[in-house]
Amino acid sequence: MKHMLALGLLAAAVLSAAPLMPQAEKSQVAKMTLKVGDTAPEFTLLSDGWKTVKLSDYRGKKNVFLAVYVLAFTGG
Amino acid sequence: MDSPAANAAFAKQIGVTFPLLSDMNRKMLKSYGILKTYDPAKNNEGYEWALRANIIVDKQGIIQFVEEGDDAVDPNTALTMCTTLHKKDATK
Repeated sequence: MKHMLALGLLAAAVLSAAPLMPQAEKSQVAKMTLKVGDTAPEFTLLSDGWKTVKLSDYRGKKNVFLAVYVLAFTGG
Repeated sequence: MDSPAANAAFAKQIGVTFPLLSDMNRKMLKSYGILKTYDPAKNNEGYEWALRANIIVDKQGIIQFVEEGDDAVDPNTALTMCTTLHKKDATK
């Protein structure tokens, strides 16, 4: 598993109130857009160590396992 | 959606060895289509939450595996896929 990087994405604060979104953004919600064979959309997120983590950081280096983990009870 | 601070406390508590990422502004969840809305009044201004999902991206940045919702609760299928990818890399 050395070549596999696992990234856990914790989304534990489940029903967080949503701000009012502009119309253009609404269409992006509730649409599962991912398909095998597609290029994974780039993202830049903060890790638990307050470091910036980009998906492209691992391009050509490691396979990435993204686990979106809802209801993880992080206390956050 | 949790803050890095909450994730750090949780990481320490459960002893994870991989980064726990925060998507506070839900950008990543939206671009991956994992963010869902629930609104009893059906005017799309309700609550937002993320689905559980397991996604595997290979070294070239190509999605190799996607699993969402109830299927993603059990990570074993995704883990098998990880092993397969790893073996494929080893033979190159």
